[in-house]
Amino acid sequence: MSTETTYNYKVVRQFTIMTVVWGIVGMLVGVLIAAQLIWPNLNFDIPWLTYSRLRPLHTNAVIFAFGGSALIGTSYYVVQRTCQTRLFGGGLAAFTFWGWMLVIVLAAVTLPLGLTSSKEYAELEWPVDLLITAVWVAYAIVFFGTIVKRKTKHIYVANWFYGAFILTIAVLHIVNSAEIPVSWTKSYSVYPGTIDAMVQWWYGHNAVGFFLTAGFLGMMYYFIPKQANRPVFSYRLSVVHFWALISTYMWAGPHHLHYTALPNWAQSVGMVFSLILLAPSWGGMINGIMTLSGAWHKLRTDPILKFLIVSLSFYGMSTFEGPMMSVKTVNALSHYTEWTIGHVHSGALGWVAMITIGSVYFLLPKLFGREQMYSVKLIDWHFWMSTIGVVLYVVALWVAGIMQGLMWRAVNADGTLTYSFVESLEAMYPFYFVRLIGGGLFFLGMLVMAYNMVKTISGAKAVNDPIPQAA
Amino acid sequence: MSKADPSKKSAVQTTGHAWDGDIQEYNNPVPRWWIWTFYATVLFSVVYWIIFPAWPVGKSYTKGLFNTITFQNSQGEEVTTHWNTRSRLIKNMQSGKEALKQKAYLDQIAATPIEAIIADPEKMAFVRSMSKVLFADNCAACHGSGASGVMGLYPNLVDDAWLWGGTIDDISATIRHGQKGYMPAFAETFTDHQLDAVAEYVVSLSGDTEGDAAKVAVGEQIFKGQAGGCHYCHTQEGTGLKSQGAANLTDQIWTVANVPDAHTHEAKLNAVKRVITKGIQREMPAWEGRLSDTEIKLLTAYIYQLGGGQ
Repeated sequence: MSTETTYNYKVVRQFTIMTVVWGIVGMLVGVLIAAQLIWPNLNFDIPWLTYSRLRPLHTNAVIFAFGGSALIGTSYYVVQRTCQTRLFGGGLAAFTFWGWMLVIVLAAVTLPLGLTSSKEYAELEWPVDLLITAVWVAYAIVFFGTIVKRKTKHIYVANWFYGAFILTIAVLHIVNSAEIPVSWTKSYSVYPGTIDAMVQWWYGHNAVGFFLTAGFLGMMYYFIPKQANRPVFSYRLSVVHFWALISTYMWAGPHHLHYTALPNWAQSVGMVFSLILLAPSWGGMINGIMTLSGAWHKLRTDPILKFLIVSLSFYGMSTFEGPMMSVKTVNALSHYTEWTIGHVHSGALGWVAMITIGSVYFLLPKLFGREQMYSVKLIDWHFWMSTIGVVLYVVALWVAGIMQGLMWRAVNADGTLTYSFVESLEAMYPFYFVRLIGGGLFFLGMLVMAYNMVKTISGAKAVNDPIPQAA
Repeated sequence: MSKADPSKKSAVQTTGHAWDGDIQEYNNPVPRWWIWTFYATVLFSVVYWIIFPAWPVGKSYTKGLFNTITFQNSQGEEVTTHWNTRSRLIKNMQSGKEALKQKAYLDQIAATPIEAIIADPEKMAFVRSMSKVLFADNCAACHGSGASGVMGLYPNLVDDAWLWGGTIDDISATIRHGQKGYMPAFAETFTDHQLDAVAEYVVSLSGDTEGDAAKVAVGEQIFKGQAGGCHYCHTQEGTGLKSQGAANLTDQIWTVANVPDAHTHEAKLNAVKRVITKGIQREMPAWEGRLSDTEIKLLTAYIYQLGGGQ
């Protein structure tokens, strides 16, 4: 069969399999550093294994390796099928795969070596930054090229979200990573002091907003109606919440810098835009969950749908919690505490990972010519391990964070502080332990998934679906 | 496939498009409660922008509706500025409810000689309350949360043995300026024979009689003479010298050589020999400038009353 008559599934298969692989790697590092918080000796006195070096490795691995592979892979699948045309750009798609993998490997080497630009979620040094830029430009060409040569009249909503994600991440990465190299392994940001902090969190929060939200909403808009076999709840809602979401997210970054040297007016702007974000964020949740109305019974039997719908519940919860935490008076309690970590993981595990897992379970059989996954029962097991894992994780850190915040501000009748810092740290141990169990359970679920994936693929033949000719 | 059901009374139509074969979209209106939530947050924001400093305008920004706020800057000058959270925090640290409660005590502490503070149970209650956290945040990392130190590394502050003196003035000076503890390494100076002898003598100083009398006598000569010169810091009697931070070797209290954990005579000798051959270099940082005078006064009184004040 000539290539122009089939979809390019090869690159989708590569990204999909690596999504599972990097998910396991990234979460394993997460479990290790969660354990190090309880037993510091687990760094074995090896510099490469210290918490400070593994923490950025964990965040980079789960966000960019696991999340990035999932986003690029699913976007390639979705954009081809909803545009009814093969991916644009020939070998460029393959370049994005190998380029992205090289970025990840370089990250896995340089971060443990302690090479870092010290910008959160953008720790990679300038040569890797340049490589990311090249891969991203290629990715944009493939994606938007495919949109341009589409055979359908309209652009499906999932592609709006993927498109917004690709464009915005390009802008964010280039602006935030503007740096002056002083050697092959060291560079300094071009921005001074407070401005650097503001640029960093403009980037940081939009990494959440566009990488971890808009991109995954694109995933949601394809895989939920597909798996539920129902029309999307409301086209109008998708239009309104899309524009509201992408126009307000850009402004929310300063809420990471409340009560700092950042001018008060900038903090105000960041706080209120974060509040305005509540409804636009929820628009995606409503649209996804309401798509299931009339088909709720499917949740009883379909564990893939369970993953997808529960991920939206966590998404709704996190996007309610986020605006609340951005309110200054709440932030005064929550900032710098474990609560923030809990919030991030209710989004990262509950929303990002679970919608990814559901989508991958949907994709794998289709990419390898199987009716369904090797074991549906194991998907169900994975679902419960993930759900219980996230709940343990998030609840433990809510309690821990609020307790920590209250201990820091507790005062005696004579106006002196009640607790020393180390007492607030000691109080964290039981919660760190529950967090480790929750995170560990989530990680074990990924191993179940890997087993299911291997069993599904082994003996199967890679399939490239033909492109239907009539629109 | 999944088309809207036209038999339903209020059936909503789809937009009429289909992607990838079967993906369609209903044309449902935006949920009312959702759009009103959106409007409510926008309304809140507009009100917030009017009340608080919010929007940049040219080189300035909107200042909000609050009055000005006045506080003291780090030079002690009164500063008046438009209301903002940073100034509010500074003001709150200076004249907030809790700050004033603390200040009432702190002013008394500052105005009272330290001996009088220690004699006054009410003031000491405040000293303990505030210093517990001060000590934990500044001192406990080395000296331990119970101030009992770490053998060989950080001195115990709850007993009455002091390297640098345990009077109020001594403790205060140590906190303020820090200390540098130094003993030269004798690995190159002594032969094995001399080292054995000096160690025997040092162990015998604290009443241990297991040593070989002849070796002890040789060790004593080295200790008290030019060959070792130990007496310059530890004195002829071995009772130590505060000005050098030199340990008293006669009191059965060991701060560097881990003799208490040695259960044989041989092990005790080895513990002492390790210190003699390697010497000591340790430092306590100076806290002046990091802690205020009153905080140093509080910590002095607190450490003094932990058990060993002289």
